[in-house]
Formats: sequence, C-alpha cells, structure tokens
Amino acid sequence: MVGESKLNLFGVINALILCCIGLATVYPIIYIFSISISDTASVVQGKVTLLPRGINFDAYLEVLQDKRIPRAYLNTIFYTGFGTFINLLLTSIAAYPLSRPDFIWRKYWMIGIVLTMFLNPGIIPNYLIVQGLGLTDTVWALVIPNAIWTMELIILKSFYESMSSQVRESALIDGASEYRILFNIVIPLSKPALASIGLFYFMGHWNSFFLPMIYLTDSSMYPLQVVLRDMLIFDDGAKTGLVDAAALAPQAKKNATIVLSMIPVLLMYPFAQKYFAKGIMLGSEKG
Amino acid sequence: MPNPNTEKILTQNKPALASRISASLIGTLKHMKRDRQLLVLFLPCLIFYIVFRYGPMFGLTIAFKDYNVFEGILGSKWVGLKHFIKFFSSNDFWLLFRNTLSLGFFTLIFGFPIPILLAIMLNELRVKWMRKSIQTLTYLPAFLSVVIISSMVIDFLSPSSGLINKLITALGFEKIYFLIIPEWFRTIYVASDIWANMGYEAIIYLAAIAGISPTLYEAARVDGCSRLRSLWYITIPSLMPTILIMFILKTGNMLRIGYEKVLLLYTPTTYEVADVFSTYVYRKGLIESNYSYAAAVGMFEALIAMIMLLSANFISRKAGGKGLW
Repeated sequence: MVGESKLNLFGVINALILCCIGLATVYPIIYIFSISISDTASVVQGKVTLLPRGINFDAYLEVLQDKRIPRAYLNTIFYTGFGTFINLLLTSIAAYPLSRPDFIWRKYWMIGIVLTMFLNPGIIPNYLIVQGLGLTDTVWALVIPNAIWTMELIILKSFYESMSSQVRESALIDGASEYRILFNIVIPLSKPALASIGLFYFMGHWNSFFLPMIYLTDSSMYPLQVVLRDMLIFDDGAKTGLVDAAALAPQAKKNATIVLSMIPVLLMYPFAQKYFAKGIMLGSEKG
Repeated sequence: MPNPNTEKILTQNKPALASRISASLIGTLKHMKRDRQLLVLFLPCLIFYIVFRYGPMFGLTIAFKDYNVFEGILGSKWVGLKHFIKFFSSNDFWLLFRNTLSLGFFTLIFGFPIPILLAIMLNELRVKWMRKSIQTLTYLPAFLSVVIISSMVIDFLSPSSGLINKLITALGFEKIYFLIIPEWFRTIYVASDIWANMGYEAIIYLAAIAGISPTLYEAARVDGCSRLRSLWYITIPSLMPTILIMFILKTGNMLRIGYEKVLLLYTPTTYEVADVFSTYVYRKGLIESNYSYAAAVGMFEALIAMIMLLSANFISRKAGGKGLW
C-alpha cells in the first residue's frame, strides 16, 4: 500500500513536468499567432503575452499587399512542388536497380554512394560546380544539386528489397520490361515509403534558406524563407536592440508572415507525423 | 626492368590468359546487355553522383591553387600549401577550432540526455491521450525552419519588446542585451537546439522502449517491484545499447554544427565565440570571394569531420551495433 501512494506521487510529478514541457514547446508558436492578430497598440505596449488583444486581421492584409511576400510564397510553392517531384522521381528510379541483388557492379555502386556520406567537401566547391554549370539564378540550382539524398535512397532501396520478388519475376517471365515493372508494380506498391521520404524532401525544400540565399541573386526569385530572414533577422537592429522598436518592421506583420509560412506545415502535421516517425525509424534501422 | 621470368610465364600462358580475359570481358558484356534496362534507369543517379558529389571533391583542388574566375579551376596557378599555412598560422584558426569544438561539445552533453529523459518520462505517463498529445506537441518544432526558430529566439530575447527581458525588468533587474553579449551565445544556441530537437530525437528511444518485452514488467510486478524500480532495473538497462550507439554516432557528428542557425543569430560582437568553420568559410569564400582560402579551410574541416565520423562508425560496429550503413 505504501508502494501504491509513492507510485501515484511519482506519476503526478511526472505528468506535471511533461505538461510544462508540452506547454513550453507550443507557447512560442501560440504567442506568435496571438501577436499577428492583435492590434498595434496592445503589441507596442506589451499587453499581449498569451492570448490576442483587439483581434483584427490588418497584419495579414498588409502582408498580402506587400508585393514581396505573395510572390515569395508562390516561389516557395513552386520550388517545393517541383523539387520534391524531381527528388522522388530520381530516388525511386535509382533505388530500383540498386535493390536488385544481381545488378551489375552493384557492390561498387553502393560503396561509391555510401562514401559520399562521409566526404563532404563543403560549401565552396559545391558553389563552384553549380556556378560553373550556369545554374545560379535558376530553379535548377535549388533542385539538381541535392536531387538525391543518400539516406533516403538507401531507405527506399531497403524498402524495395523487402518487397516480395514473386510478382516482379512472373511479370518478367511474361515479357514485361523493367520500366513497366518499376512504374506499374514497384512504385505503386511503395506508396508508404515514398510518402515517408517525400515528407523529408518536402520539408527540406519548404524550409530551405541557405541554398536559395547563396544561389539566387535576383530578389524576385527569393523563396519565403529568404524574404522572412531579410524581414526578421537581417536587420541587425532587432538583434542588438539598439534601434527603436518602432523603426523596425511592425511585429504583427512579421508574425503574420511567419504564421502564413507555417500553415502548410501545420496542415500536413497530422498526416505527416505518422510518416515522419516511420521515416526516422526506417533511417535508423536500415541507414 | 621487367622480370624475365614473369615475361616468360606471360608468353607461355598467353593464349590461356588472353582467352580468360576475353571470356570475362564477354561475360561482363553479357551481364551489361542483360541489365541494360536497369543501367538506363541507373544512369541519372550515376551522373548526379559523379557531377554533384564527386565533382566538388575534384573542385577542392582549388585549395592548392590561386583560384580566379577567369582561369577556372583547371587553369589557375598551383600554389601548394600556401592557403593552409596562412590559415594555420593565423589567429582565426585557434578561435574557430575552439568555437566549433565547444559549440559541438555543449550541444552534445546537454542535448544528448534530454531526449532520453523525455522518452522515459513519456513512457511512464499512463494516461494514453495525454502521452500522445504531449509527444505530438514536442516534435512540432522539428517541422519549423531554422529561420523561424531563430526569429523566435530574437523576438523573445529582444531588449525592447522581448518577453524574457520584460520578465527581467519586472523583477527589478537591468535588461540584458542577450544577442550582443558573447557570454550568452552558447547558452542561447544550445537551449534553442534542445527546444527544437528533443521531441524529434525522443522518437528513437520511445521506439526502443516499445520494443521491450512486456513479460519482463509483468514478472517484476508479480515479484512486487515498484514502478520506479522496474524503470531502473528494466527500462534503463534495455535502453543502454540504443543509448550507446546514438552517443557514438552523435560524437562522430559533433563537429557538424548547425551553421545556418549560427549565421542567423551571430553579430560581429559575438564572432569571438560564435564563429565556426562553416560560417567563416561562407564569409571568406562567398562574401569576400576568397575562394581558394575558404576552400582550404573547408577542406580541413571536412577532413576532421570525416575522421571523427569514420572512427565513430568503427567504434559503433566494434560495440556490436550497426554503423551508419
């Protein structure tokens, strides 16, 4: 009986701490949202700490009227959609031959591919290659240099390997080409794995800011993250606090932009988390 | 001078050798012909790896040259180890080395245990809906971009409008200019890292805990073992192999600092603690166009990172676990 009461105390403390952690995780996100729909006066006076005050959507209208942001949003949607498509296409095509145990020189290909996980020559040589191929200031600079992620390639290859080879072999005997087998049998059967690696690619494109920053010089091509960074961080005034708050971009507008950039991610979240966890586990088991 | 014996053997075995070589060549050609469709499918991947993964390694030769845009990678003059010598003898070298190492080290020792604790605590939470929802909340930040996370950090720490400084002034203290004081940089970097990654990293440990056989816990309960004791004697020992492997791999990756966040959060006043190899390479190379010098620094960093990763992988395999592949 004594043991029971101790057990409850432990359970209660544990639950309390976990609730605090959960709140600490979402609090900044709620706060940003609240600021974005509060009126300017309350924000400047610092009255908003958790819930919004003087609810209005002026900041969102302002964001939509600022030419930069809607354009950057469309750019991001395009880069993400196109980039993820190319990623999935190339990864699923490349993983197929590698998943065949008798594919010619398979061992050497695999060694060559895995080695690149250890050898990362760094920013400069990558930049020079992209520049040398004339890809800077085009979409291709964001899509092609990272068209295949080695980890995701290995995950998908392992998934293909785990599939039963019977259907494939009988299709081969019936005279189907490898292309048909891949596109009509293997890929349709790999939807869960493709969803999982596709999610990682999607998040990679949606959130990427460093590559667009170094490869794009034309500001009309900037994706949302680069514009956000210019708005939020690049003006060092916000960091040092030496500039008067009123001189900076209004906080509500900044936060409205952040919220807009998080919306697709949050909408995908319920669906995503299932595949996200699965992807991490696949990565840790097979990677 | 070729050994005459070898030559004799070669001439003697010439027909046999020739036929063996041609036989294996024919075999390879047959294999290639059989796999031709697979080879076509593999071709884009092959080109990608050659151009964008091995191409840059060839591009590293500019670290030994004085690269200039007009002469290109091949045409530029060789200068040997000039850039390396310049880097190693400059004050920047030790500064960057110390900063990279300490940011990596502090992220590891503070950031590593927290996901384990979180996973264990979540597992002990017996109310299922609560466990599910807290777990879901904690890995939400993993979906946010580094720009958003950095901007949240800047917002919360802002001396004029940040909540933290409001709290500090409300308690009657002087406000702190967090982002321009060097002493605060590491704390800010590591703390925001933990906030953003703990839920995501707990997933692996939660899965490992889920894999522990329930019969162990039942047997312990029958023997009158309390929950705390079965936590101590069953859960933690069963997690040890996962913890060990993760620790080794994390150590191997220690020098891979999240330089994007450093780039977003540092200011010239905090360079002395915040500047790491990658951010220095970015500034020297892409901002100041010192490509060769920056490539030399990047190459040094890549070499150290590779050695650490390879040894971590080696140790992890020795320890009976899986390596990176």
